[in-house]
Amino acid sequence: MHIPDGYLSPRSAGALWVVSAPLWALSLRAIRRRVDRRRVPLVALLSAFSFLVMMFNIPLPGGTTAHAVGAVLVAILVGPWAALTSVTLALAVQALLFGDGGVLALGANSFNMAFVMPFAGYGAFRLLRGAARPGDGWFAFAAGAGGYVGINAAALLAAVELGLQPVLHHLPDGTPLYCPFPLAVTIPAMTIPHLTVAGAAEAILTGGVVAFLGRHHAELFETGEGQTR
Amino acid sequence: MRYRRAWIALLIVAILTPLGIVAAGGAWGEWGIDGIKERVGFVPAGMRSATGAGKRPLQDYTVPGLERGFFHGGPGTIVAALLGAGVTAAAAIALTRIAKHGDIS
Repeated sequence: MHIPDGYLSPRSAGALWVVSAPLWALSLRAIRRRVDRRRVPLVALLSAFSFLVMMFNIPLPGGTTAHAVGAVLVAILVGPWAALTSVTLALAVQALLFGDGGVLALGANSFNMAFVMPFAGYGAFRLLRGAARPGDGWFAFAAGAGGYVGINAAALLAAVELGLQPVLHHLPDGTPLYCPFPLAVTIPAMTIPHLTVAGAAEAILTGGVVAFLGRHHAELFETGEGQTR
Repeated sequence: MRYRRAWIALLIVAILTPLGIVAAGGAWGEWGIDGIKERVGFVPAGMRSATGAGKRPLQDYTVPGLERGFFHGGPGTIVAALLGAGVTAAAAIALTRIAKHGDIS
């Protein structure tokens, strides 16, 4: 899901930087105001966690791979606004040091995986959770479902950004200038692996870690609530 | 150290990363110029110029001198994972500290 440079036109990539930059500022403001100083190391820990999770590529039929992101788990623990900074830093290091995802495309990748994913997934988690408490089976299930919703929202968005390129940017004869695949190709190519394998991986990861932490470290969730809203 | 056991768990995850890199093929839509040419038959003009921007220091999670061949590049992947996770965590600590104590309002 890491869009490399060259797939988005400079204008599209730039537009997503313009959208993402104020969101980053809001995220830093949320950290300043609502994340307890003692939880700062948790934001860093989760940033490193997200970086590592994305290194585990799962082979898919057809010779491609997909991976979980961890952004919804981060959102459940420190709130979606802090998750935006946490996951964006992982994406920035991936782009700058390892060439995983473009530098020009960082605005887009951050918008998809660090903004839309944690917010959509956290929203789904909150809706489903109801009155369940950390340690309850339903609490962990809601977390897993949130992970599933979040990664699929991000994958769909990446597919739309890629698939719009041949419509937005082509030569007079229709030859594409950037990503050459239309929406009819990008949407199934991105969503099918994430609705199945990567979505399942994200759900198991998110639900599994939340189940473990709910049973053994329920206090992590108590300070996370309200404080990071 | 706060969250000590969680940091140790992350260290173990980092040591396991070669398992994730072994998976054949890359992600859909993350091909380089050659991969695009193979699939589409040509390289779109805008793509050629943008992706020529050059390689990153540890491109594709490989460390110079520890590339494939030597245990399939496993030790290099672990070094890349530790380095990447460390830089990420350090950047996060620095940025959150600035956010909490600096002038970003």
